[in-house]
Amino acid sequence: MSYFFQLVVSGIVVGSIYALSGLGFVLIYKSSRVLNVAHGQIIASGCFITYSLTVWVGIPIYISFLASMVITFFLAMSVERIFLRRLIGEPIISVIMVTIGLMSIIDGLIYLTPFGSENYSFPEFFPATPISVGEVSISWTQLVGVIITFVLIAGFSWFFKKSTIGISMRAVSDDQLASMSIGISVPKVFGLAWAAAGLTAAAAGGIIGNITGLNFDTLQSFGIIVFPVVILGGLDSILGAVVAGILMGLIQQFAAGYLDGSWGLNGTGEVMPYILLLIILLFKPHGLFGIHEIERV
Amino acid sequence: MSANRWLVTGNYFTSYRDEQKIFSTHLDRTIFSVFLLCLFVWPLLFKLSSRNMLVVDTILIAIVAVMGLNLLTGFAGLISIGHAAFVGVGAYTIASIIRVIGDEHLLITHAWPLVILIAGLVGAVFGAFVGLPALRLRHLYLLMATLSFQIIFQWVINFSAFFNQGQTISVGRVFWITGKIGRKQHYFFWYYVILVVIIFLGLGVRNILRTRYGRSLIAVRDNDRAADAMGMHPGFTKVYAFALSGFLAGIAGALHAYLYRGVGFESFTLHHSIVYLAMAIVGGMGTLNGSFWGPIAIQMLELQVENLAEEAGHFLPSNMNLSTALRPLTFGLVIVLFLMFEPRGIANWWRMVRSYVKLWPFRY
Repeated sequence: MSYFFQLVVSGIVVGSIYALSGLGFVLIYKSSRVLNVAHGQIIASGCFITYSLTVWVGIPIYISFLASMVITFFLAMSVERIFLRRLIGEPIISVIMVTIGLMSIIDGLIYLTPFGSENYSFPEFFPATPISVGEVSISWTQLVGVIITFVLIAGFSWFFKKSTIGISMRAVSDDQLASMSIGISVPKVFGLAWAAAGLTAAAAGGIIGNITGLNFDTLQSFGIIVFPVVILGGLDSILGAVVAGILMGLIQQFAAGYLDGSWGLNGTGEVMPYILLLIILLFKPHGLFGIHEIERV
Repeated sequence: MSANRWLVTGNYFTSYRDEQKIFSTHLDRTIFSVFLLCLFVWPLLFKLSSRNMLVVDTILIAIVAVMGLNLLTGFAGLISIGHAAFVGVGAYTIASIIRVIGDEHLLITHAWPLVILIAGLVGAVFGAFVGLPALRLRHLYLLMATLSFQIIFQWVINFSAFFNQGQTISVGRVFWITGKIGRKQHYFFWYYVILVVIIFLGLGVRNILRTRYGRSLIAVRDNDRAADAMGMHPGFTKVYAFALSGFLAGIAGALHAYLYRGVGFESFTLHHSIVYLAMAIVGGMGTLNGSFWGPIAIQMLELQVENLAEEAGHFLPSNMNLSTALRPLTFGLVIVLFLMFEPRGIANWWRMVRSYVKLWPFRY
């Protein structure tokens, strides 16, 4: 039974990171209907910026964590400004393909840095002895990561519910023409959505980097797994992204914990989300919390 | 219909039948035949080294695959970032036959046209299966279906002992009427095979595009509700598009397996899917001759990038792997720049030249 609870705990840890990265994805989709395929690359670059600021420059981790969030905030904003702003009004299909191209470009840029070929890991910032309750244990890094994640998610929920910018973002996602007519600058909102997504991506990247170490492939896979997460949660629901993220983390851990090794299966944790994605697309494409758009053709 | 298409400035077709013709004049047909003849004759005149012939063959295989992708993305308007997986399905169909009956079996060495066809059909079945969500959903979601197919494909290949854990599964040498195809003639022989396949498939796709089905494909892309109202079934049209694209990809994969005489996992990764997409975009989405220009341009670019990386490798520290970095960088840049500045691709340049000639000395 303790094995089960251990899986639950690690599932929640991984899942909360999925929730955070899914949040950034949903932010962009909600405001501009663009599927950002390059999200994993933004997460990875956030992680690498945090690492280089902390280890190579020597800034304390909490400051460099915040600094990397600020840097990716502006980075994502400028990506939107340079590449996507001029595509407003183009068919959505070509905008998505531009993000596929961006993914490839950022991949190439990261391969140019040492991070592309070598693995690094953050120095330990927290006590190495894990916290144990009964036979279930959780390391300090994981605990702090989960806490930061939930603080950020709560902050963003508040931001969307109450702040003027958040409300204008929701307005744009609801009806672009109407929000333009009441004086909201739609391009600015798109830029802000990208910037906010970059910010959450950097936070997610920093936390992942601390928990799993800095391996480019792992970080990329955190970006791709966002797809099953947001589909399960419903593409345009922040609550959905959070719930589905944690659910997906649990599913992954259970699959890896119980299926691997039996019947000659291996690495089921990595593929289970995508099998689930295909099934969800066939039977419940709007996910758990998505708005039931009548897109049936 | 006026005799010279180059000098006509307007649309002078008097019937839909005329407009749908592939060759509107005898001259067109003659030019096309001469062009095909040249394609058949040139390898006899210029002896290329095996290495260069391999490049040409690779381009031709990419053309087959990109024709399929272009049908899906350009004509049906469905983005696929799992096309390399469909190509892989074709290649691994051959691989699984080999794992069962061995790579020197008559079926593999003598009945290879049949095996290639089977690989195409298996690709079509997988394509239709992945396209099934199209019955209910629009393009955004289908992107994810293809992505998840790519990941599941990679996992199946990597973790199953039947597929040798993604390691190379070798394919035997094939026989022709003249006997066994040796190492010297290998790339030469497959050049002709792939060329014939491309001619058949190209004419086939061109003909499909002017049938009722091809036109309904374009109608569904442009406005699915209107297409629905006019009596087409958008969902099934898309599933057919997926199946057709899977068929072409499967054939490309089978040819790939025979050409390289082995099937390995590393030719069918997500990166290759993006390269195929880049080829389709650069060539020109929604045009058939785009599927010919794109692979040629991208393969040439890839060769240049490799040369550049090799050159730069002399000056840079050896631990910096420049070629792995430059490839995604250039492909990404090509995709983004073409989408931003020339969304209709290289095929559009040809159109621009033609309209320039037609309107000369006037211009818009």
